[in-house]
Amino acid sequence: MIPITTASRVDGRLKVTGGARYAAEFAPAQDNVLHAVLVQSTIAAGRVASIDTARAKQVPGVVAIMTHENAPRIDLGKAGDMTPGFPLLQDDRVMFNGQHLAVAIATSFEAAQQAAQLVELHYNRDEATLLMSDNPTGTSVPQRFRNGMRPPASTRGTPQASFDAAAVKIDQIYRTPIEHHNPMEPHATLAEWQGDRLLVHNASQSVFGNRKALAGFFGLPEDNVRIVSPFVGGGFGSKGVSWPHITLAAMAAKLVGQPVKLVLTRRQMFTSNGYRPKTVQHVRLGADRDGRLTAVLHDGISQNSAYGEFSEPVGLASEMLYSCPNVAVTHRLSKVNQGLPTFMRAPGEASGVYALESAMDELAWALGMDPIELRLKNYADRDEHEDKPFSSKTLRACYEQGAAAFDWKRRVAQPRSMRDGRLLIGLGMATATYPVNRSEAAAKVRLQADGTAIVRCGSQDIGTGTYTVMAQLVGEHLGLPLDRVRAELGDTALPQAPVSGGSQSVASISPAIREACLAVRAQTLQLAAGDPASPLHGLDPEELDVADGRILQSAEKSRGETYQALLARQGRAAIEADGSAKPGEEKQKFSMHSFGAQFVEVAVDPDLGEVRVRRHVGAFAAGRIMNAKTGRSQMIGGIVFGMGMALTEATEVDPRSGRVTNATMADYLVPVHLDVPEIEVIMVAEQDDAVNPLGAKGIGELPTVGTAAAIANAVYHATGQRIRDLPIRPDKLIDGLSI
Amino acid sequence: MYFRPTTIDEAIGALASQGGRILAGGTDFFATQGDRPVLGPVLDISAIDALKGIRVEADQIRIGACATWSEVIAADLPPAFDALKAAAAEVGGWQIQNLGTIAGNLCNASPAADGVPPLLALDAAIELAGPAGTRRLPLDQFILGPRRTALAPGEMVVAILVPRRFEDARSHFMKLGGRRYLVISIVMVAAQVALDLQGRVAGARVAVGSCSAVACRLPALERALLGVAAGAGLAGLVRTEHLAPLRPIDDVRATALYRLEAAQTLIGRALDACLSEPAHA
Repeated sequence: MIPITTASRVDGRLKVTGGARYAAEFAPAQDNVLHAVLVQSTIAAGRVASIDTARAKQVPGVVAIMTHENAPRIDLGKAGDMTPGFPLLQDDRVMFNGQHLAVAIATSFEAAQQAAQLVELHYNRDEATLLMSDNPTGTSVPQRFRNGMRPPASTRGTPQASFDAAAVKIDQIYRTPIEHHNPMEPHATLAEWQGDRLLVHNASQSVFGNRKALAGFFGLPEDNVRIVSPFVGGGFGSKGVSWPHITLAAMAAKLVGQPVKLVLTRRQMFTSNGYRPKTVQHVRLGADRDGRLTAVLHDGISQNSAYGEFSEPVGLASEMLYSCPNVAVTHRLSKVNQGLPTFMRAPGEASGVYALESAMDELAWALGMDPIELRLKNYADRDEHEDKPFSSKTLRACYEQGAAAFDWKRRVAQPRSMRDGRLLIGLGMATATYPVNRSEAAAKVRLQADGTAIVRCGSQDIGTGTYTVMAQLVGEHLGLPLDRVRAELGDTALPQAPVSGGSQSVASISPAIREACLAVRAQTLQLAAGDPASPLHGLDPEELDVADGRILQSAEKSRGETYQALLARQGRAAIEADGSAKPGEEKQKFSMHSFGAQFVEVAVDPDLGEVRVRRHVGAFAAGRIMNAKTGRSQMIGGIVFGMGMALTEATEVDPRSGRVTNATMADYLVPVHLDVPEIEVIMVAEQDDAVNPLGAKGIGELPTVGTAAAIANAVYHATGQRIRDLPIRPDKLIDGLSI
Repeated sequence: MYFRPTTIDEAIGALASQGGRILAGGTDFFATQGDRPVLGPVLDISAIDALKGIRVEADQIRIGACATWSEVIAADLPPAFDALKAAAAEVGGWQIQNLGTIAGNLCNASPAADGVPPLLALDAAIELAGPAGTRRLPLDQFILGPRRTALAPGEMVVAILVPRRFEDARSHFMKLGGRRYLVISIVMVAAQVALDLQGRVAGARVAVGSCSAVACRLPALERALLGVAAGAGLAGLVRTEHLAPLRPIDDVRATALYRLEAAQTLIGRALDACLSEPAHA
């Protein structure tokens, strides 16, 4: 087994010195880029009656105003199931407030901005449903749940009857609001046509997904479209699918015959690139007096747009997290006149486990049982939903190690019984779980005559450390220090890799890179052994190894030579190999998930209702951790993401207009440094030989799961107030507290 | 049109001849601009030396119209200014504090302007210059409503003037928001307390922001505190009826009811903090 490394990010220096170039910072070879600014709807439903662009066109520098009347026609049928096919200026429908209705294109950004302001839109309004109700009626069943891969509902045993007969019951509704991803880097696209070839620089979590979408829309062979995205300033799911602004930039470039750059404003990032939908979740738990679960029922409703479909899979964890013979899960949709929701860090699990793990805490309290004891009592040793063994599950150790580090035993069970001066102290915990995903990927590794190596793979680094892990793998397999390995990614000219989503990048690309490395290594060893001038001549390649940029004899490490010497003698510029890898039978044989345990201490000001997280311990078992340093950073980030979900983040929609009212970083409150206490991450050792050749399960989303529940549970312990409606804002909490 | 004069007279002349929006630190100017381009004339006053700095004069402290939050924080000022310094430290991050000006904060006239309650508690006045000369207005007559000030056409703020009356009073600022920092206030309170030699309240000034269209003082509370022996603390003396001038609203940040309750709590805490905390080092 390869030891865990703690290498720093190989791209860290570029980033802190401003040398990393993001999509909006690229310029076409000729200095002829035009700037595009979106014009958005001010109504939530209806049709565009007329558009007056006369005043807009008078602005000096304006080249064109693209509307549904003059926009290039595109093929909506071939962009792929995951690609939103609306709003792309193909018709006059208005389906939500903030919808793109025109694009102003000008020689300067300022001129495009001014022209966008002067486009006059006239509407025929229709009745709109602006908000999803807290108690939705008229809901519908998803037609393409999980992209058609799973049914939207499942039942095992006799859940309803068992719940009705249960000795102890929890029957509650939990709600989570709309949340927006808010990566620091705005979405940005630079589109450039070269004849019937399209070059696009894009802030992307999926360059190959973008390529498929654009090739489909424009009726081009995929090889004619190149997407480049070397650096991405965060995505969290918002840069996963090909949102309309990408296509609009390419349409605009086609319309005017010049390269076009389109950068979304922060405000537009609340209407243009999806969001975590609002959910209303009905959770019912039945248990016997000993705390054994006899029924789990989880009915989730999530917000959907009036066009397209996205369903938040809130109930999937409830199917498998605990041992229980009687389980029913349903998913339904509530249509409103807002944009299409999308994947946001731990889609489904983040919202769903908040509800399930809050309900488990309520059950523990109803039973008078320690929350960890309740979870251990219902520990699932196999996946009872899929009826398969887990490839690995080390959750018990997560509870143990997390509880020990957190000193859980100091918790006094009774709510409102722990204080620090006037502050109420609460301790809470919750379980985390996230599935292991993997897709097919390819890579190319090239060992060069100067003793350096290049690894190429069309994955993305969305701040997660992909560059570093790619370089590390080559370093480990070819015996090279990191500064002699260059990683290239984020380009469809490179070997194909999947979307950076579902925590799957490392699990998908590492086996492919490894295979390419092993092939290069084998070729190199063979060359050395077969070269009469090599000090290793005549040895069996099996007896050889690589280390410190050298090929050497395993048993006699001083005997060997450098890569440079070998390649120079051989007259070779490089030794190169391809690798590819795809999931095997493991998914049929095993249920594959990562697990963790979250522990939180909060302090609540009883007079103001302010909640401060004072300490967080997260213990996670996610197979092999490829890089302990970047991995730890990613886990901390995931926990902070969950803290925002628990305490501050919610997108507010004006009930009169359907417009987002807090579409700024000043009003949409993500946690800032002072909100974030010491976070301790424990990487629980876990070996999993089944998930993939490297045994890495993925860590990007797991730490977000359970964080909100642990905080809500800690708040209950501190105050005796159960908040079932995120975020836990001071004014929600204060009503029940003594003033 | 962009104009960057170096004297007040030039600026007044430019305002008279071409008008224009005044730009100092730009931290509100550009934020308010949103996604729109900057159109129309801009008068950048950041090169006018006479508007810079903070000066202690014989009977007043003069905060120039271009003095930044960072300069307030760094300035050697009496303890009565501790509340203003604390407010300055809550306005954005360091980059914002280095650029943003206190005078700009007043001219922006947000109900949640962090600078207003501490300056109200200091009895600050605003010095204005215009075509008709210079005039002076008490702060509570300068800010008239949300985004509305008494600036007449062609006028600009020259300085904020604080009388040197309460210099030995202790002061404190408290701010409550949806997160710990970098946040628009739900409620903020500036309190200032001076004690006599017997430990009785010789003077108290309390101002509350984000709970009315314009931040305001609480005169009934200030009167009720006069002469009270402070030994047992002052928080218990704050009564609901003292909050009568406040008119909070429900908005995305909090409910009106919550604001009132939180204001009462924070006023008590700010007053007591004035009793216990040592003067600013």
